[in-house]
Amino acid sequence: MLDEFLAPDVKVLVQGATGRSGRSQTAQMVAYGTNIVAGVSRRDDPEATIPLFRTCAEAARETGAKASVVFVPPLDVLAAITEAIGAGIDFIVTVAEGMPVHDALKAKAATRDAGVRWVGASTPGLAIPGKMKMGFLPNVSLAPGGLGVMSKSGTLSYEVCYRLVERGFGQTLWVGVGGDSVKGTRFADLIPFFAADPATNGIVIVGEIGGSEEEELADALIAAKCGKPVFALLAGRSALEGVTMGHAGALISAHIGTIETKTAALRQAGAEVSPSIKSLIEAVSHTMAPA
Amino acid sequence: MMLLEHHAKELLSQAGVRVPKGVLVTGAQDVRFEFPCMAKAQVPVGGRGKAGGILKINDASEVLQTIERILGLTIRSHPVRACRLEALVDEATEAYFSLAFDADSGTIRILIAAEGGVDIESPEMRAKLLQAAASPAMAPALAALETLLPSLAPALRGPMREVAARLIPLFFEKEAVLIEINPLFILPGGGWIVGDAKILTDDNALPRQPELRALIEEYPMLYPEAALKLAQGFDFVQLDHQGDIGLVTTGAGLSMQLVDEIIQRGHRPFNFCDIRTGGFKGDPSRLIQVLKWVSSGPNVRAILMNFFAGNTNLAELVPLILVALENVPELRQKITLRMTGNGLDAARKILAESGNPIHAESDLERAIDRVLADAQEWQYA
Repeated sequence: MLDEFLAPDVKVLVQGATGRSGRSQTAQMVAYGTNIVAGVSRRDDPEATIPLFRTCAEAARETGAKASVVFVPPLDVLAAITEAIGAGIDFIVTVAEGMPVHDALKAKAATRDAGVRWVGASTPGLAIPGKMKMGFLPNVSLAPGGLGVMSKSGTLSYEVCYRLVERGFGQTLWVGVGGDSVKGTRFADLIPFFAADPATNGIVIVGEIGGSEEEELADALIAAKCGKPVFALLAGRSALEGVTMGHAGALISAHIGTIETKTAALRQAGAEVSPSIKSLIEAVSHTMAPA
Repeated sequence: MMLLEHHAKELLSQAGVRVPKGVLVTGAQDVRFEFPCMAKAQVPVGGRGKAGGILKINDASEVLQTIERILGLTIRSHPVRACRLEALVDEATEAYFSLAFDADSGTIRILIAAEGGVDIESPEMRAKLLQAAASPAMAPALAALETLLPSLAPALRGPMREVAARLIPLFFEKEAVLIEINPLFILPGGGWIVGDAKILTDDNALPRQPELRALIEEYPMLYPEAALKLAQGFDFVQLDHQGDIGLVTTGAGLSMQLVDEIIQRGHRPFNFCDIRTGGFKGDPSRLIQVLKWVSSGPNVRAILMNFFAGNTNLAELVPLILVALENVPELRQKITLRMTGNGLDAARKILAESGNPIHAESDLERAIDRVLADAQEWQYA
């Protein structure tokens, strides 16, 4: 069922394949099993191990790529997304930190109008463990298993999944949606896929203060009636009001996006909200059988 | 970044939006201004009035003591570092205007109301807000406003239209995330003037927003977090001057979670920190800087360094940590270095061979236990 979200053997191209990070991450993704068929770059790279093209359109036409992972600087992400849409790509993951929010708004409108799935603005990417990854979710935290994972924070989800894997709990699909306020794929968007997937027997959410995504997620859980156990960890209880705590989306103001509103909404939807990483790991261990 | 009221009003004034005359004061000094006037604490949070941060100055004799009183406050954990003296506004009614994103639909949301004021968050007031969504561009936003105006009293339509005609372009030009005018004073006779203004800008847009960048560079003391991020590319937020635990950590989410868990366990983290190991590029100076900051906390008793090497290599990180520690000789607190991930065995070996007494731990829970125990011990030493 998760194939409807993303097929594990989808042909992937890399935009920004010759940059420092693009080149090394491409090698890692290939090593992990991702079907990388092309790179797009304005310049040549004698060390490239994948076919390089000047434009997305050319790369997609020559290789049949349908998905793209974008490794360009933050101010160039919008242009890269626009180019990918024009080339007929229908699944885009962007990983650069610091995409301006007005650019993200434009990208959101463009991808939605074109019927393209966008995971970003700034995310460590996604993985179908044991099969492929787009982005750089760390291998030490990945293992095939039964948990559907979605996360706003990279590092916190690395830690959580690393410890779950140690206890025998791997993932069916892990999507880093990112810590931005305006983003392509939100927590709630993923619920129908996890709910319908027979291999996913539990859902782990790594959320944080700010915005209303966790509240929308609670509504989606209620609507999906998926009946699967849901575990949530929400960071930022003690964040300073009025200050950006690393993530642009993690800024609280007045009474919107606090841990209290999020916890209440998720509990209402039947989720188990844990106050600490340790208690989340224990909650999963008590409820579920390791894969 | 949340602009301080004074800077928000300067930005509005440049955009042709009427604001009361005001002056920014950053130290206790006798300021010449028109009296009576208001003195307002400049912090990026609400609730200033209730916290004693908004006071009236009746005449010149009261200036110094009023400013001193306000600059001595801490409002919702924000020490007051500046104060705005502002001309009084004559008798007026209070309305409301704001522009924000709807992050879910990716649209711009315009909210207006015939009544504004400090109770705008109350359910009764929120129910009275008129709102419209628009695609994120100037023309649709202006058109959306027009759809709301017929629901307002005729006397309010002109002022709202004038305010919108200035604020909507400003919102796009400065790449704002939020502009909220509350209250918007409607004067008898159809005039209007901004009472209070909240402008949230996008730090990610700073590379192409020279004026906002210049503001941060001019006032690094008033925007310490943004100034640091701009100059050095990482996040450090001092949370509690009296905090007993210093954090040298990477990753915003994990750092926030560590702060939460340390508080749950009855301790007080001095800071939040996302040091971004990916930006070190073989240079220990960022580590040195952060170690100096946390070790200088007057009450910091133990330090937790946490590195989850998912995409980095601990064998490259540990030598940098060792150099950094040598460069902070004043550091007197015990340090627990929690590290796990790529290159752990090699990193352990490097650490052992160095003879540095720093305590290494691969399990996060044990590392937290150790740091809190060190802090406790220090107390009774």
